[in-house]
Amino acid sequence: MLDFVIKRLAQVVIVVFLALTVVFFLIRLSGDPVALFLPPDTSREQIEEYREVLGFNRPLYEQYGEFMGNAVKGDFGTSLKTNEDALTMVLERLPATVQLAIASLIIALVVAIPVGVLAAYKKNSVFDKFAVGVTIVGQAMPSFWLGLLLIYFFAVQMNWLPSGGSGSPIHLLLPSLTLATYSIARFTRFTRSTMLDVLRMDYIRTAKASGATTFSLVSKYALKNSLIPIITLVALDLGTLLGGAVVVEMIFAWPGIGRLLMQSLLNRDFPIVMAGVFIIAFIYAMINFIADIVYAYVNPQIRVK
Amino acid sequence: MKKLAVLLVLMVMALVGCTKGTSESGGDTAPQGESKDKVIIGFEADAGTLMANTDVNYATDAQIRNIYDPLIGRDADTGEYIPVLAESWASVDEHTWRIKLKDNVKFHNDKMFNAEAVKFSIDYMLDEKNNSFYRSRWENIKEVKVLSDTEVEITTKEPFPGLIERITVDLLIMEPSYVKEVGNEEAGKKPIGTGAYKFEEWSRDNYLKLVAFDDYWQGAPKIKAIEFRYIPEFSSRLSTFLSGEIDLFKNVPVDSVEKVKAGDNAKIEEVASSRINYLALNTFYDGPLQDVKVRQAINYAVNVDELLESVLNGHGTKMTGPLSQLNMNYTETKDYGYNEEKAVALLKEAGYKPEDIILTLDTPSGRYPMDVQIAQGIAAQLQRVGIKVDVKVNEWGTHLEKIRNREMGDMYILGWGPAFEPQSTVVDLFTKEAPYSGFYDEAVQAKIFKTVETFDDDERREGYNELQHTLVEQASWVPLWQQADLYAVKKDLNFKPRVDEEISAFYMSWK
Repeated sequence: MLDFVIKRLAQVVIVVFLALTVVFFLIRLSGDPVALFLPPDTSREQIEEYREVLGFNRPLYEQYGEFMGNAVKGDFGTSLKTNEDALTMVLERLPATVQLAIASLIIALVVAIPVGVLAAYKKNSVFDKFAVGVTIVGQAMPSFWLGLLLIYFFAVQMNWLPSGGSGSPIHLLLPSLTLATYSIARFTRFTRSTMLDVLRMDYIRTAKASGATTFSLVSKYALKNSLIPIITLVALDLGTLLGGAVVVEMIFAWPGIGRLLMQSLLNRDFPIVMAGVFIIAFIYAMINFIADIVYAYVNPQIRVK
Repeated sequence: MKKLAVLLVLMVMALVGCTKGTSESGGDTAPQGESKDKVIIGFEADAGTLMANTDVNYATDAQIRNIYDPLIGRDADTGEYIPVLAESWASVDEHTWRIKLKDNVKFHNDKMFNAEAVKFSIDYMLDEKNNSFYRSRWENIKEVKVLSDTEVEITTKEPFPGLIERITVDLLIMEPSYVKEVGNEEAGKKPIGTGAYKFEEWSRDNYLKLVAFDDYWQGAPKIKAIEFRYIPEFSSRLSTFLSGEIDLFKNVPVDSVEKVKAGDNAKIEEVASSRINYLALNTFYDGPLQDVKVRQAINYAVNVDELLESVLNGHGTKMTGPLSQLNMNYTETKDYGYNEEKAVALLKEAGYKPEDIILTLDTPSGRYPMDVQIAQGIAAQLQRVGIKVDVKVNEWGTHLEKIRNREMGDMYILGWGPAFEPQSTVVDLFTKEAPYSGFYDEAVQAKIFKTVETFDDDERREGYNELQHTLVEQASWVPLWQQADLYAVKKDLNFKPRVDEEISAFYMSWK
């Protein structure tokens, strides 16, 4: 088991390292940040002087070496715009993003599992067709559009909910619903199909024959087994929700990591982008790492492989 | 099943835990029936820092000017200098300026404002350690001397007639003992100034809350609290305004003006900004644009009135020369006007068939009002006289970098401002080192340098007059317009937009 854990941890390190490396070179393709920060009347010599102070005039490999050397120590430098520690700035935004991700996940699970189960159980019924239809729409609807529709209806027309910002659970409702829509659709379809597989199993027929009620049949025998693959999906989606809430955070003025990264990219505030990429890659890799460990713990076959 | 339930409960608990962390003070959700002594302003971006004299950035400046005062400000309508913390100023000789300061002005921490604070604030910008992006503009300063509590003397390395402009645009006064005590980072998070509003709370990317400073030297503000709320997306900002959650926001796109006006309790306030938009004609490469006749032809071929009417719905003020009317030393120059025949004739005179001329036109996307549509409109207009134009749309950072690195093609759309004083416009646009207009002429440059260093007011005015006429004669660019600053404002809020774009809550009140 220890071997397995060490191997997987090494993979986490490699994933984070590769993510940082790729992004480091990619964002440098977007150009030099110095010109964006200085006032327009800055002379060329002065721009050069700033580039030298900030180290942007050195060869790329040197900059990369220094960056990695410091990153290992947890130092991602200071924001070019605010002179504050980049990692701290990103970590300050983390709670808001986690909050949004978890709220979305809860909404997604609470809606998707009952609907998926019911749709499978009543296969080909009106409800089933309706549920499948709605999930297709949910999966196809871009979040920026859905978000704006929700704002328009609930905030502008009805005046029931705030249109954006953060602070109270009420503020959380619209953004998490918007973010959850895609996951709801995915989870519902997945629950439905795994449930259908399970319902075809012999042991279900046996349970049915031995007189189990519909409710206990589904909840006690079928759901348990059909949930295992869903847990993988949840783990994967949690990673995506944590890193991919950029659009929702922008529309709802949610002060999370996605929005900070987006703005920092446009401002070419490289240290913040790198610190943000580090946090997201790390969380994503760790969630998968934990999922792997839990699996291995539950199912020894995986360890052996 | 039980495990799932436990998992859900755990997640809800985690969520509540997170909520606590970020919800010490939520944005106010009750849009109606609130007591009317607070104003909530929607803003597209957070301040970079709340430290004065550091971040060259409109979003930062507009917010912190409620906390800090400048020495010299501007008249809200004309843009002329007015004393704020300064009482008066005068140049002693070409290298020396003396500024008399107001007495009896208090900082938010009860310390008194004095000449020491002025020296400290300028020295702060000049100190490399502080990484101020203003430093490059102030490098001409040799020394700031405290003559008495209410008088400072600034000496410069070279003659610096533009110093007063720099003081007006850049300099805000910080409290020295506070900054020294808590350090730059802390002072940048919890600022102290002499302004009408005291810092209360700042939640990054979320909001900035300020409360009235009742000991303010101009009297206690009528609005007792202000909040800047950051809403990056325009559609969301508009929705938030229409639902009544914010009272005011700047930069309504021209195509959304009617939508705002349709709101129950909404009005549009508009003022001609000192920010100008223009079409630069690049003369740095061999090609038709080096020929003054071709540039003049383009000036005749671009129909500015048509663009203003059909693309900007009339929200903009036409310009004919290099400076807007808000500039000191502005003079009226010749208007080329729209004239297709003249354009064609001039091209012929220059020895070109219009169809032989193929030009590129670069535009940023979303930086200026309807910039991409304007570029396409200009391309269509030039095509009418036969010039082929290839429009290229750039992300703003790329656009600016291309200009700064002189990698720009033939023509590009750019804005300039806020500009109240001609020096920075002519020096930074029409000299060899300056990349922003793409125009350079040796004689014009010599005239520019001579004029900006002239200390005598009349002589300088004469110089600028001549320059403006020459630049128009040379068709150095195609002047377009002053942008319109469009604000969405609640009907019962007294708010008058200022030409300098400051959003000063001190001058606001509820009806």
